[in-house]
Amino acid sequence: MTLDAFIPESRQTEKPRESYTWIGKSMKRVEDPRLLVGRGNYVDDVNLPEMAHAAILRSPHAHARILTIDKRQAEALPGVLCVMTGAEAARQTGPLPSWANPPVHQYCIAQDKVRHVGEAVAAVVAESRYIAEDACDLIEVEYAPLPAIVDLEAALHASGDAVLHPDRGDTNVALARTLTFGPVAEDFAQADRVIERRFRWPRSGGTPLETHGAVASFDPGTGKFTIHANTSMYNYCGWMIADSLGVPAHKLNIVPTLAGGSFGAKLFSHKPCVLAATLARATGRPVKFMEDRIDNATGCDAHGSDRVYYAKLAIKNDGTLLSLKTRIIDDYGAYFQFGVGQHGNALSQVVGPYRINSVEVALEAVLTNKCQQGAYRGFGSEVANFVIERLVDGAAAELGMDAVEIRRKNFITPDQFPYLIPTGNMYDSGDYAAVLDAAVELSEYDSWREKQAEMRKQGRYVGIGVASCQERSVFSTTEFWMWNLEPGGEWTSSPDAVSLKIDPTGKAFVTLHAPFWGNSPETVAVQILAEQLTLDPADIEVTYSDSDHGFNSTGPGGSRFTVMVAGAVVGAAHQLKKKLLRIAGHLMEADTADLEFRDGAVSLKGAPDKRLTIAELANTAHYFRLDLPADMDLTSGLDASYVYDHPVTTLPAKDNSHMGIFYPIMGHMCHIPVVEVDIETGKIFILNYAAVHDCGTMVNPMTLRGHVRGGVVNGIGSTLMEHYHYDETGQLQNVLFTDYLLPSTLEAPTDIKIGHVVTPSPFTEYGIKGGGEGGRMGAPPALAAAIEDALSPLGVTIDELPLSPNRLRRLIRDAQARQSTGDIGVDSTG
Amino acid sequence: MKPAPFHYIRAESVEDALSALAERPEARVLAGGQSLIAMMNLRLVKPSCLIDINRLSELDYILLDGDELAIGALTRHTAAAASPAVAEHCPLMTAAYGYVAHRAVRNRGTVGGNLCHADPASENPAVAIATGATLVLRSVDGERRVAAEDFFLSLYETAARQNELLTEIRIPKAPENQGWSFQEMSTRKGDFALVGVAATLECPNGVCSDARVVAVGVGERAERLGAAEAAIKGSAVNESSVAAAASAARDSVDPPSDFHADTDYRRDLVFTLTKRALLEAHGRCQGRS
Amino acid sequence: MGAAREEAETMESVKIAITVNGRLYERETEPRRLLSDFLREDLRLTGTHVGCEHGVCGSCTILMDGQSTRACLTFAVMADGAEIDTIEGLGGIDNMHPLQAAFWEKHGLQCGFCTPGMLMTSLELLRENPAPDREEIRDALSGNLCRCTGYQTIIDAVEAAGKAMRGAGQ
Repeated sequence: MTLDAFIPESRQTEKPRESYTWIGKSMKRVEDPRLLVGRGNYVDDVNLPEMAHAAILRSPHAHARILTIDKRQAEALPGVLCVMTGAEAARQTGPLPSWANPPVHQYCIAQDKVRHVGEAVAAVVAESRYIAEDACDLIEVEYAPLPAIVDLEAALHASGDAVLHPDRGDTNVALARTLTFGPVAEDFAQADRVIERRFRWPRSGGTPLETHGAVASFDPGTGKFTIHANTSMYNYCGWMIADSLGVPAHKLNIVPTLAGGSFGAKLFSHKPCVLAATLARATGRPVKFMEDRIDNATGCDAHGSDRVYYAKLAIKNDGTLLSLKTRIIDDYGAYFQFGVGQHGNALSQVVGPYRINSVEVALEAVLTNKCQQGAYRGFGSEVANFVIERLVDGAAAELGMDAVEIRRKNFITPDQFPYLIPTGNMYDSGDYAAVLDAAVELSEYDSWREKQAEMRKQGRYVGIGVASCQERSVFSTTEFWMWNLEPGGEWTSSPDAVSLKIDPTGKAFVTLHAPFWGNSPETVAVQILAEQLTLDPADIEVTYSDSDHGFNSTGPGGSRFTVMVAGAVVGAAHQLKKKLLRIAGHLMEADTADLEFRDGAVSLKGAPDKRLTIAELANTAHYFRLDLPADMDLTSGLDASYVYDHPVTTLPAKDNSHMGIFYPIMGHMCHIPVVEVDIETGKIFILNYAAVHDCGTMVNPMTLRGHVRGGVVNGIGSTLMEHYHYDETGQLQNVLFTDYLLPSTLEAPTDIKIGHVVTPSPFTEYGIKGGGEGGRMGAPPALAAAIEDALSPLGVTIDELPLSPNRLRRLIRDAQARQSTGDIGVDSTG
Repeated sequence: MKPAPFHYIRAESVEDALSALAERPEARVLAGGQSLIAMMNLRLVKPSCLIDINRLSELDYILLDGDELAIGALTRHTAAAASPAVAEHCPLMTAAYGYVAHRAVRNRGTVGGNLCHADPASENPAVAIATGATLVLRSVDGERRVAAEDFFLSLYETAARQNELLTEIRIPKAPENQGWSFQEMSTRKGDFALVGVAATLECPNGVCSDARVVAVGVGERAERLGAAEAAIKGSAVNESSVAAAASAARDSVDPPSDFHADTDYRRDLVFTLTKRALLEAHGRCQGRS
Repeated sequence: MGAAREEAETMESVKIAITVNGRLYERETEPRRLLSDFLREDLRLTGTHVGCEHGVCGSCTILMDGQSTRACLTFAVMADGAEIDTIEGLGGIDNMHPLQAAFWEKHGLQCGFCTPGMLMTSLELLRENPAPDREEIRDALSGNLCRCTGYQTIIDAVEAAGKAMRGAGQ
């Protein structure tokens, strides 16, 4: 693919090596001890003196004008400090942050109308959450219901009262745009056939066990807010929360707590922060707002992609894939906080690992009366993976080609990297055939094909699926605005920062400027720093900065954090190393070129007994200025910070003929599950599961496997059982965990076999690639393929998720009716 | 999700509980609380008074009494599920417990509480009906016995009067050569059943002399599938007669539809689970190990 | 009957005595106060986490008189006179219980939110069944949801802890 796009030079300073001391070690996590003894500091654990508790009155209507709110009884309840309506909140608090351009206005408490069930209509602050909820029950609200738009195709044509944001025009279409990359029409003209399918990817959500929350307080002495919260991005755009509150940015400090899981949901969880702070300001007391499970399911602002695809794949009869055309309708819910960032994201790997020549994407993003979308593991690319893999399987089926062979035939080959895909993104490195081969071997694919044949003879429905998927890492901010029709807000920085210091006793302190989500940033920082300075991990302490002290740091998400923390640690460590070498060289009267770091000391190369430990050097650096060279640039102390920018990213072309390089650190995976379907009940049994991942250089193989396995089980949920189900009036039917089903131990495969292939990135430090989103980005197409294979004797095709037992039975029943098998054991008339 | 306030009464004896129930028409009984407290946290119910009977150890027992197994209403599920007496004399209940919730819930939840809660997808009501159990209800007015078949009226509604306390469940000991089976389909193990079928079968010389088939998840309460029973009774038990009984079962129900399972799917499950239950029960017919 | 009951009726709060991790706490509490909130807020033992408040996720699992129990489905008044074990009593960072050590070794946690509930449920399992096979572990933990790990390393950890505890004669 030749594009008029240039690939910047690599800024990698640490090349991948054959062996390391700490990198590549499956070291026990530094984060764990406090978590294991129940002393993790999550936001609900924050307890401030005089702290009061908030609850929200949730709208029972999906769409309605708020006519009157009578809060007198609620206010009179003993223990109630404040009952606040949207109008009252708006006197000082403006709209919530939004990255969409033009923005869609959302408020922490609804203004003139409610736009989804569960939206806050009022908020109560009381001495306890119990009393706050009692008070909510006493608030009387008069509503004038409006038509509820729940179906995304209906949303395209809605008008009048069914429009959620009339100030944007008489439409619920938030954005409609077609982007064409490469010679799509010509490629389709030379196709031998076109695989055409409609896919439905259902709305689900990250649903971490810990909900979103914030504890806010206002200090009248300083006129400053402090908010403890489990949101990320407080050091990237936390000032937007100050903006919403109507205060200058330096009058807000956001203090991170540990997050009990995020999976993207807590990327920028601004609403609880703004709400809690608004209430703290009004009551003069610290206020905690913690979402309960109903608040979360109905109003977390973090639902996942909810899409219909009309997809066409142009192919040759020999199995060559030529071109991809998709028409997408995406149901964004009631607001639009990230614009169509999820579709910018999808463009990063829309052709999968294949040499597809051209791509066209026609997108319509619609607004409906549901909780809005946020970020969810994959951020839209997991859907693109599903689409391309299902189309490739469809091509294989139509051509009578083996699923493995059609993939092998179309893979981008190792000699083609760095590879630019039609949309302009770059794939930095990879060896997709090696990953596929490893997966075929790990899964005992050939042996299972034999077993499958035997089992089929016994009347069992067993299937094997293969999915070869990209797993991009390290997003650039351009993905959030590249689709926009109107210019503005076109940020291009998405760095991460680390601060380092070594104290006079030689202990190292690493400060992260972004939070812990269950990924392992502390362990990564420790391993990288230990590698850089030959320190003992036991001598390294990791802490987190609040926003007052923080540097620009985008934080976890998009599988970026390991790469970015590593890059920032390396950048800061290099500065410290330089200084340490200078001081050592001076004290040892040696040329710095003759010195090296070894075993926690700086020693003479070839004569390691001639050394000064880092502790000794640190002590000198802190206290013995007059023993150091008199140079002005050499100051006392030993500290450095580094803001590590995205290692390689470029701007979209002005004419949008390509989107530049924006998500190039490209991991890859191949998942091969074996499933059995009980066709009478629709129940799925996973008989075998193999996943091979290429995440470049691995910092900690154990934690990476944790993400792969966790991601696979997450993906099993998405594929088989998770779906936020709204009825035709906009009521969310499955708010609770009794009805929104997360996989338990029994739904997880007994053994997810993991393999690794390593193609280091030429662009990141040590060649590391991200892997946090991993398993969820490959499991759905792999499982769908396996289930379709299992049911192939019945001629079932899988185009829609989740594959609940209910849906599978319907597919099976319909297929049997079509076939009229007359099989005695199965009821074909039911 | 916090419950609304209530007055709390801790009963120190059964008489205590009965007087409190009589004096306070609005009171509800708090046993294990695994269903009630969840509903209270959701504010789906807001009882103004709860009578905590968890101290009434005199209601926590499993005994043999003549031809019947007597289970005190406060018996925790964990104890019932692990009881050798239950395994021997009501193996259907032991089998059903393989599908009931999870350990922590079973530790606190009680047999009596579960029956009085009368969730249409709950397993024990089906077991009670299939085994022809009798529920013993006590009040300040005396004692009343209600057949399980007459006890479950509708969604969360039983024949127990407001002032009555369920004190005991009496289950006729399972005949020596009776086969049993409990089959359930749920998306995840331990979830509420989409459909469940309890079956007992007696088939001396391979011909069915008695059958009981009870389904859950097919309506507002556990339903005895008389049509299935009639179809298999008097027949030799084989694939064909079982399939006929399963078809009769399917045709006799009119299940509700929701997003978990639509009507057609529930019918499918009634067919499949009835078939599997009868086949498994038949396999167990000739003596238990 | 009689006096004790009448007193309870007129009180808006109830006196309770609960032993938690071996220490007796005497407090007054509203009858509706959930044990989860009592532990976390009244006793400042925040290691027990709240994930759903309807008894499904298992994050709030503690031991009540040795039996795993959902603290979110228990009123504190129901625990009057009971012995409660929470994560804070299991072991400290310098003297971990074999379960905690095994979870650390085997990477049985990522965000840590479900972990206290997992550990308490595992403790009950290993006390009753010191040598569970993997199926038994999966079954015992099926009522504890984890969104991070995919469970496999949790099962590895419990299996390893069981071995360690048997080896040490615990």
